[in-house]
Amino acid sequence: MSPHPVPPRRLWWLVAGFGVWCSALVVAYALHAVGCAFGWSAASLRLVLALVIVAHLVVLGWMWRDLATDRPEPGFGPTGTFLQTVALWTLIAAVVATVPMLGLTIALTTCL
Amino acid sequence: MSALRLHRELAEIWATGPGWQRLAAVNHSVIGLRFMATSFVFFAIAGVLGMLTRVQLATPDAKFMDPETYNQVFTVHGSMMLFLFAIPMIEGLAVYLTPKILGTRDFAFPRLTAYGYWCFLFGGSIVAISLVFGVAPNSGWFMYTPLSSNVYTPGINADVWLIGITFVEISALTLAVEIVVSILKMRAPGMSLDRMPIFGWYMLVTALMMVVAFPPLILGAILLEIERAFGLPFFDPRRGGDPLLWQHLFWLFGHPDVYIIFLPMAGALSTIIPVFANRRLVGYRAIVVAIIALAFVSFGIWVHHMFTVGIPHLALAFFSTGSALVAVPTAVQIFAWLATLAHGRPRWDVPMLYVFGFFFVFVLGGLTGVMLAIVPFDWQAHDSYFVVAHMHYVVGGALAFPMLAAFYYWLPLLTGRTAVHRLSVPAFWLVFIGFNLTFFMMHLVGLLGMPRRVYTYPGDVGWNWLNLLSSVGGFIMTIGFGLVVIDMLTQFRYGRRVRRDPWRTTTLEWAMPIPPAPYAFASLPHVGAPADDIAAGRRALSLARGEGYLGFARNGWQETLGVHMTSGAPEQLIVLPRPTYLPLCTALATGAAALAMLFQFYLLSLAAALVTAGLFVLAGQRAGLVRDHGPLPVGHGVSLPPHTESAGAPPWWALIFTLLADGTIFASLVFGTFYLWIAAPNWPAAVAPTPSLTLALVTLAALAVAAAAARGSLRALVAGRSVRGWTGFAMLALIAAIAGAVVLIGGIAPPPREHALGATAAALLGYVVLHAGIGLLFLVSNLLRLGAGRVSARRSLDLRLTQLWLDYTVVTGAIALGLVLALPALVAMLGARP
Repeated sequence: MSPHPVPPRRLWWLVAGFGVWCSALVVAYALHAVGCAFGWSAASLRLVLALVIVAHLVVLGWMWRDLATDRPEPGFGPTGTFLQTVALWTLIAAVVATVPMLGLTIALTTCL
Repeated sequence: MSALRLHRELAEIWATGPGWQRLAAVNHSVIGLRFMATSFVFFAIAGVLGMLTRVQLATPDAKFMDPETYNQVFTVHGSMMLFLFAIPMIEGLAVYLTPKILGTRDFAFPRLTAYGYWCFLFGGSIVAISLVFGVAPNSGWFMYTPLSSNVYTPGINADVWLIGITFVEISALTLAVEIVVSILKMRAPGMSLDRMPIFGWYMLVTALMMVVAFPPLILGAILLEIERAFGLPFFDPRRGGDPLLWQHLFWLFGHPDVYIIFLPMAGALSTIIPVFANRRLVGYRAIVVAIIALAFVSFGIWVHHMFTVGIPHLALAFFSTGSALVAVPTAVQIFAWLATLAHGRPRWDVPMLYVFGFFFVFVLGGLTGVMLAIVPFDWQAHDSYFVVAHMHYVVGGALAFPMLAAFYYWLPLLTGRTAVHRLSVPAFWLVFIGFNLTFFMMHLVGLLGMPRRVYTYPGDVGWNWLNLLSSVGGFIMTIGFGLVVIDMLTQFRYGRRVRRDPWRTTTLEWAMPIPPAPYAFASLPHVGAPADDIAAGRRALSLARGEGYLGFARNGWQETLGVHMTSGAPEQLIVLPRPTYLPLCTALATGAAALAMLFQFYLLSLAAALVTAGLFVLAGQRAGLVRDHGPLPVGHGVSLPPHTESAGAPPWWALIFTLLADGTIFASLVFGTFYLWIAAPNWPAAVAPTPSLTLALVTLAALAVAAAAARGSLRALVAGRSVRGWTGFAMLALIAAIAGAVVLIGGIAPPPREHALGATAAALLGYVVLHAGIGLLFLVSNLLRLGAGRVSARRSLDLRLTQLWLDYTVVTGAIALGLVLALPALVAMLGARP
């Protein structure tokens, strides 16, 4: 066992990346529905969706930088390294899921 | 102490009594086996119903069943397979195996496990018995509105589904919370998260998915039942409701459910394949990443079941892309298993036959899944037999084949024998050939245009021979399953006798007596290496001699250890409750509430629900210890406080995860409100809503006062002062909040029965009333436990739980009341749109 156990709150990092992905999906889907219901123009709806997606990607990028540059605290031992690696790769997976799922689709017909 | 003496002492403490006392069982081994056996009975019933549909469809223009009977048969077939077999089966497997694989003695809340089982049994029985009386559900397994509304299904058929299945879902939810807490807090000492067997990761992620996936359907079922029973029109488009809201709520559950079924079975495969490949699992970390990704993405693609309902292209593309993407984390696991086999020295035995069957069937099901993820193809194949074929390939591949592999792998743990090859090998080939013959033909007949859910078809459209072959395949598969059952039963008596650990495994469940004793481990192992890499057989003897932790009996307590979540360092001594009839009584009361609701005796239903709540309070009175103990020795020179004196006790985490589920229900309700606002026809209503701002603020203030008083009582307890005054004050505040919310409900405009606008406002306020009411129960329980000496400055868990609950109630109450107050503005926005 490591001399300093990894605090349980750090487990949030395992779901943080996909938490942001979830937020991007929910906000984009909701704004799309609102925009269509209230007759926003296609250009403004696309702009709003793009802003939402870019904002989420910025957050993901910031988290990525934070995780990728931080070395695991030596006191946390192999458990700390394991959790950091898993957190980093889930974050990468979340970025990979966000770009094609939300980023590339906003060029399509908006409300038809 | 000798191993035999230790065994006798522990067995006396942990064993379930004979005769009627079996009804009081709370042990995870007993309950796990009951779950699996009961779900297998439902599987058999559902299988027979499936065969009946194949008899009907074997030839054109068949008169074997009339349309109404056919509707009931196929609806119950699907509902039973999904809700009464698949989910309970994986729960049973989890309950039976998880504590053993993680090196602990039981789950965190044995009485809750037992309550979950009885709820499952009663709920499932309601659905099964309804068939006998010809009032079984008949609207399809996903109960789409408006078909399932009381306009088109006026009898009790739909109510049977809504009440029976919701009953079972409550069971699933309780178990999910229990599994999460147990995996996080009750592993073998030293089993840090990086050393946890991969099965533990799979079960953890699955249980977390269940915590979030079931609430939307529970909410949907409650709303639909309220619509059917009391006329609140959530799904009625004539009165401001929207049938598509049901589809969203259903599939928010329904799509992740496929992965909820798949992941535990994948956990079984990830345990079995390395054993037979004679090498460690390839890509442990990659698999952990993949299952976390899979869990999330599976939630984000629920709309792919709704591609034909008229959603704009752009939104369709979100979900189409996501549906294709979900294949990636699935493929990561498949390639990890293939790599394990490729780099190992595989040996063949019966479990591996089913692993092969899984690869073949699941990959085909996955490929048709990717086809259906592509919108234009889905539009063509939607509601055809192609979808039925895909669904069976996925569920069969994800569940049936790995489940049988798991049975053959773990049955020796129970029987001390392995299967007789002369029977098990032909049984496998019959199941495999029959399965593919049955369901592959459905792809073809679907592509030829045969719609699903038709009770017959004309003979001149080219579907005859495909349907006939499909039916023949169904019978071959059934014979195969029959042989499997015979094989397993004969294994108990005629199987080849084997020594402990016949497969030369690497996980802890084999480091115990065969069959497992009720206490599982005579002493708890210390895990110093990755727990997927333990020579289990060699550990068994030292553990049986009591050389691990807790290798003794004390005070007649059922003891096990609680550990630090990430490191697995021992942290607390957990004392578990002994066998009791309370779970059975509570489930009977819950069942009475459900049945009374079904037969429209609403006051009786309310009374039974109150009895259920009372029994929960009573259960609380028997929990914990009656005095402070301080640190107690647990072996290896370590002393730990009892869980009642520990900050991170399992009930604390259980409430957090319960609130996560509860919060998902609330989020679904808020989603429903906005969905109706944006999408439902016939909005705005003729009558504008005019909620009282003053009353809403008074209600919210009362909730806040109750939460503050709960904090005051905790501070008073820690300081050694009396807490009764604070508790009484909190109770008064909650009563005031309930009164305020009830008055608000009484004044809702438009009236809840007339328009969905009023109905959603009533639902939001009802949520506040319910939570304030449960807060009252917490406070009553606290008073009783204070009187009984079960609460002290060191044993303050009750008060901390109450505080957490009331804090949650304030937050959700503020959102609910805020939304009700915002409704007039939202309606005005609708009126002003172009």
